[in-house]
Amino acid sequence: MSTHSGLHAAEADNEEFDHTDPRLSRFDLVKEGARRDGVQLVYYAPRFPVPGTRREARVVRAVGLLFFLSGLFATAFVVAYIWWPWRYQDGSNLSKLYTPVLGVSLGLSLACLGLGFVAWGKKLLPEEIAVQDRHDGGSPADEKKLTGETMLNMVDELGIKRRPLLAKTALLGMLPLGAVAVAPLIGGLIKNPHKPDILFHTGWDPSLNSGHPIAVCREDGTKIRPEDVSIGGQMTVFPGIFNTDGDFVGASNDFADSPTLLIHLRQDDAQVLRSNLVHVPINEQNTWGNFVAYSKICTHAGCPASLYEQQTNRLLCPCHQSQFNILDNARPIFGPATRRLPMLPLTVADDGFFYAKSDYQVPVGPGFWERP
Amino acid sequence: MIAALALVGSVYAAFVPGGAAQGAPAPSSDVSAGKTLFDTSCITCHGANAQGVAGRGPSLIGVGDASVEFQVSTGRMPAAGQSAQEIEKQPVFDETQAQQIGAYIQSLGGGPQLPEGNDLSNGGNIAQGGDLFRVNCSSCHAFGGGGGALSSGKFAPTLANATDRTIYAAMLSGPQNMPVFGDNQISPQEKRDIIAYIQNLKSDPAPGGLSIGRVGPVAEGLVIFLVGIVVLLFAMLWIAGKS
Repeated sequence: MSTHSGLHAAEADNEEFDHTDPRLSRFDLVKEGARRDGVQLVYYAPRFPVPGTRREARVVRAVGLLFFLSGLFATAFVVAYIWWPWRYQDGSNLSKLYTPVLGVSLGLSLACLGLGFVAWGKKLLPEEIAVQDRHDGGSPADEKKLTGETMLNMVDELGIKRRPLLAKTALLGMLPLGAVAVAPLIGGLIKNPHKPDILFHTGWDPSLNSGHPIAVCREDGTKIRPEDVSIGGQMTVFPGIFNTDGDFVGASNDFADSPTLLIHLRQDDAQVLRSNLVHVPINEQNTWGNFVAYSKICTHAGCPASLYEQQTNRLLCPCHQSQFNILDNARPIFGPATRRLPMLPLTVADDGFFYAKSDYQVPVGPGFWERP
Repeated sequence: MIAALALVGSVYAAFVPGGAAQGAPAPSSDVSAGKTLFDTSCITCHGANAQGVAGRGPSLIGVGDASVEFQVSTGRMPAAGQSAQEIEKQPVFDETQAQQIGAYIQSLGGGPQLPEGNDLSNGGNIAQGGDLFRVNCSSCHAFGGGGGALSSGKFAPTLANATDRTIYAAMLSGPQNMPVFGDNQISPQEKRDIIAYIQNLKSDPAPGGLSIGRVGPVAEGLVIFLVGIVVLLFAMLWIAGKS
């Protein structure tokens, strides 16, 4: 039996059903409503035909207990959220259990609520079997025709073909309105990266120190002597920039493009590097003794490429496994990086500390459109 | 002036390897015992008098007892074979024997020396050590000390089994591809800070109970995803089976 014939049959029967008949019970009305929707109740029986039995009371108590427990666990969640010690404390203590307590209490609360409703539905609601016919696909040909003509009639009524001016002016009026909608979204993306010209300058630019070379510093702002770096050792260094209060800011986010790896090569490795410097002419004057300093910012995606292998003389980037050959001007030898790590022009001044002779000669970090 | 000279002298004496103030020469009995062990177990690759054998093993002149103790007490030496990297295994020699071989190598050519005692984290400032660890160690050994991959099959090992002495020796000698962190770069007190931080990191229970390798949110997300999906799958099967 198709739905349509079923629905039509139900509509035909509507005439015989008197909804004002006082003899009809509420369930009769429910059944009639279901019948009109094409749903037939094949079987229907209450779970507990005799109300108030001991078994029914037991099921009701169990469902009620589940709801009560749900509330109890939810309360426990709120209490733990507010009063459980959450700050980090060393050693074994309650703070280590903060997250599990929140998760377990909320999880149990939701589980009890769900179980309560499932039990209510399965154990207390009447047992029923209802049958509904599957709807057949496709509308009848006459209905398709009528709907199509109705829509075309709408176009006719608007008279777009006869009044082209209206269509054009409506479009013209709505275009700027569309621009209003996208302006705040696209406007936020438009920025000029060259004012100030941050992509070409780092914290090693001597102009930040009124034209004098910038000192090479540790993370606490102390300067570094050549003998501070062990042979076969490396040190992450930052530009020695201090704010007006005298606080060290070279290692702050304002100069996040400036961290540099200062490496002390072994004698024979340094020889190899010196013989390779001709491959990159701008690097030729950049090493000092057996020391070399490369930008720590990977030229692929800007991660800190600072996994230093002191025997194979490679720098690794942990993000995408790019590898750079320290002894050949940090040439990329593996992974997605395509450009060398820039080399910082190193020198040691008369006071015995490392300084950067100038800023990096090429922009540090990942590529960008206008990069030369 | 004289006081300044005396100060300079004493500071110098304190820093020169094999000086009188620190690292007093080991008793000769240790050296001879070390030489016996060396001659039976190490000489094949490192050669007579530790001068090295081309193509087999490097010279050990000047590597110091820190390097020897690290390699021997963690079982990396004697090596099982040539590979990308020597791995930690059941040590062949015990602590005393490792120190005896170290004393022998030390007597040959000097080099970086370990301080006395097994507790090298005592008096270390954990917070300061954490700062130093994050700047110097975390790029390879990871923030939780779990280690990580390097190039061509090499890797930075986990610090889970590291004792105070092996951490100190590793920093001082720079074993294999680890950079050297000499006393000028990271002072002995700073080394104690770092060791104190690492030992605290290892002994501190993981928040939530399970550390899941301490490699961060990726592993945690994966576990939640896999375990959660499997639990939901079984719950679905159970519900479907019930109805």
